[in-house]
Amino acid sequence: MSTQTFPVTGLTCEHCVGAVTSELSVLAGVTDVRIDLVPDGTSTVSVTADQPLTDDEVAMALDEAGDYKLAAV
Amino acid sequence: MTTTADQPAEERTVELVIGGMTCASCAARIEKKLNKLEGVAATVNYATEKAKVTYAGSVSQRDLVATIEATGYTAEPPAAKVGATALSSDDAENGEKDDEVSRLRQRLVISALLSLPVLLMSMIPLLQFDNWQWLALTLASPVVVWGALPFHRAAFTNARHGAATMDTLISVGVSAAWLWSLWALFLGGAGAAGTRMSFSLMPSRQSATSSIYLEVASVVTVLILSGRYFEARAKKRSGAALRNLLNLGAKDVAVLRDGLEIRIPTDQLVVGDVFTVRPGEQIATDGVVTDGTSAVDASMLTGEPVPVEVGPGDAVVGATVNAGGRLTVRATRVGADTQLAQIARLVEDAQNGKAEVQRLADKVSGIFVPVVILLSLATLATWLLIGNSPTAAFSAAVAVLIIACPCALGLATPTALLVGTGRGAQLGILIKGPQVLESTRRVDTIVLDKTGTITTGQMSVAAVHATSGESLAQVQTLAGALEDASEHPIARAIADAARTAMPAMRATLAWSATDTSLPAVEGFSNHDGRGVTGVVQGHGVLVGRRTWLEHEWSIQAPADLVATAEAAEAEGQTPVWVAWDGAARGIIVVADTIKATSGQAVEQFRTLGLRPILLTGDNSRAAHAVAALVGIEPQDVIAEVLPADKVSAVKALQEGGSIVAMVGDGVNDAAALAQADLGLAMGTGSDVAIEASDLTLVRGDLRAAADAIRLSRSTLRTIKGNLFWAFAYNIAAIPLAALGLLSPVIAGAAMAFSSVFVLTNSLRLRRFAPLTTLDVRRQSDLALPTQRMGLEG
Repeated sequence: MSTQTFPVTGLTCEHCVGAVTSELSVLAGVTDVRIDLVPDGTSTVSVTADQPLTDDEVAMALDEAGDYKLAAV
Repeated sequence: MTTTADQPAEERTVELVIGGMTCASCAARIEKKLNKLEGVAATVNYATEKAKVTYAGSVSQRDLVATIEATGYTAEPPAAKVGATALSSDDAENGEKDDEVSRLRQRLVISALLSLPVLLMSMIPLLQFDNWQWLALTLASPVVVWGALPFHRAAFTNARHGAATMDTLISVGVSAAWLWSLWALFLGGAGAAGTRMSFSLMPSRQSATSSIYLEVASVVTVLILSGRYFEARAKKRSGAALRNLLNLGAKDVAVLRDGLEIRIPTDQLVVGDVFTVRPGEQIATDGVVTDGTSAVDASMLTGEPVPVEVGPGDAVVGATVNAGGRLTVRATRVGADTQLAQIARLVEDAQNGKAEVQRLADKVSGIFVPVVILLSLATLATWLLIGNSPTAAFSAAVAVLIIACPCALGLATPTALLVGTGRGAQLGILIKGPQVLESTRRVDTIVLDKTGTITTGQMSVAAVHATSGESLAQVQTLAGALEDASEHPIARAIADAARTAMPAMRATLAWSATDTSLPAVEGFSNHDGRGVTGVVQGHGVLVGRRTWLEHEWSIQAPADLVATAEAAEAEGQTPVWVAWDGAARGIIVVADTIKATSGQAVEQFRTLGLRPILLTGDNSRAAHAVAALVGIEPQDVIAEVLPADKVSAVKALQEGGSIVAMVGDGVNDAAALAQADLGLAMGTGSDVAIEASDLTLVRGDLRAAADAIRLSRSTLRTIKGNLFWAFAYNIAAIPLAALGLLSPVIAGAAMAFSSVFVLTNSLRLRRFAPLTTLDVRRQSDLALPTQRMGLEG
């Protein structure tokens, strides 16, 4: 069980939060997704999963959800 | 266009109308989902709420709709339009918007008419005849069910996404009040014939089930509908920028076909066609000059005041005006490929890409709604736990929901925006979408166009120089007299300056000038925009470029003047050579003049915490010269920018984390104005720029831009205060509701007090004082307070 946080850009409203949450939730092992929305800025996405997710997995899910991207860390 | 039957089975195109999108990200999401289907290529436009989908193979239109619906939005194919052209579909779109506004107005008017008797009956006991409550129910029900339908619908969509906005709050509050009343009338005691509304401030608990809240439900609906209507009406005008742009070009063109000149509509022109452009005509499309020389006035496109000289081999841009001689042009780009169309596309992209900023009211509601629902549940649980009847517990819980919906919420934003907009109009700041005032709170950078914004965009004489032995007056008078016969902007500047200077110069002239008018010209001749010749006071006078004097007239420029001319050119000014009787004798330096107020404006921007940046297509030296004069830092000058790159420059600043306001006037600024977080157009500029911007500064005074930003900040402060007052009274009443002490009187009082506070607070914006015109305006403000009020309403 681990919780990771990812900085994500492109989220503008609650609908984006819903889209990203639903795409991340279907990844294998994910049990919880929390998003701290910063419209037009870098939002913080916290994912709780059985085993850590790779950046690639998350980036793919974000792409699936829409025009969202992992911010450079 | 949208029918599929007569097209090849392999590839079909359909335009779907998408519903439920709230920001640009939604559009991107739908696009992605659609493009994942095999053989599907889709683009989704958030602003027009349309998806353009090309699909092939086994995919059907139904699959597309299903995919979109699975993503959480609605989709339907539009009614088929036969032979629709780009323009008429644009009109249809506008019609749709009109429809939307008129539907909203209809909803508002009917709801208001139905609600008024309900309100009067509930407030005035005299009107409460026997069974009045049943009439109230009859009148209020359509308002709650049909009038508030847009809110119910939006609340439902939001709920599916797990979000709560202002719509949710209204829908929940209105529904709760109505359902309560319904229950009280049919099952509680309120339906009895003799029931009167209780007017004691501390109602007994028994009366709770016999109280009805129909007037709360209907009045809240009406107030919030009216707020929506005002905003929708103001929003209607967007989209006109593109139509204006496309209307800019020439309508028909004289094309040469088989040696014959025939007039055809511009849109039938194809690449390679050769067409003629007479003086004064618009060039039909982008092309290359094959024959003739002339000056082309591109001011409508670039804002640059001086026409550009063209000859064979030179490229010309469509929609610019041929100011000089007859030209023959070979079309190189037509239709969607022209520069004008590219600018239109940039404007469209910039307008679409703009994510709608979350409204403050929605932001507050997003937190408030879950809290209220939790409070309501907690009330229910507590009442049940301490051993009350389920009826009492349920009524207390519903009372919390009823009182939580602040009716002034609907007024908080629109009234502040309306008053702010009205005040702006008085100050010469026309605000297009009033929402702009709310959404531009954090502007920290202001990008200024040079020509027409910082400068007047008109040429005037900056200096007159004479070679040794010649008098300045002689140079100016002879040149002025000759140029008076020409229409060129530079010529007009020289003639105007000479005319103004005549009274003072008269005494020093070589001939005895009897009056103060310019001497007459004989044999005036214009040499293809390179220079003019004529005879004035017996002198053969030539005015024009140095190269023209040297090459065509073999007149050498004196060394002292050459140095002065080169210095002027380095500053971005234009030296014009004056020669007579076979020798060059002086130069007149013409330049675009900086507005007197520009320097002050830049200073005011700094005071407001903004970083002024100069963005211009002009050369770097000229840009730096202007920047230095108005007080912009050299590192904040972005020069030699192509029209299409202005928008990228603004984008780059935004990506760097700045919130950008942009002030401009030309067609070439339009895309950048639309891209900027706040676009301000000079009222003296092109229509396209005005349409693409959010604000128009009527007087073309840059200082008004500073006032506009101050006004938008004041408006935002007012909205915040309004939201506070809207919620405060209702929040204060929530404990009463939770204790089961809510009565219609308390609900009504909370409604009335918060509404009055919100209105008064918004009206304070009328006293917004600009920095620029303080002296004049302030007095009239003080002198005529009542008249002003009347004018605004």
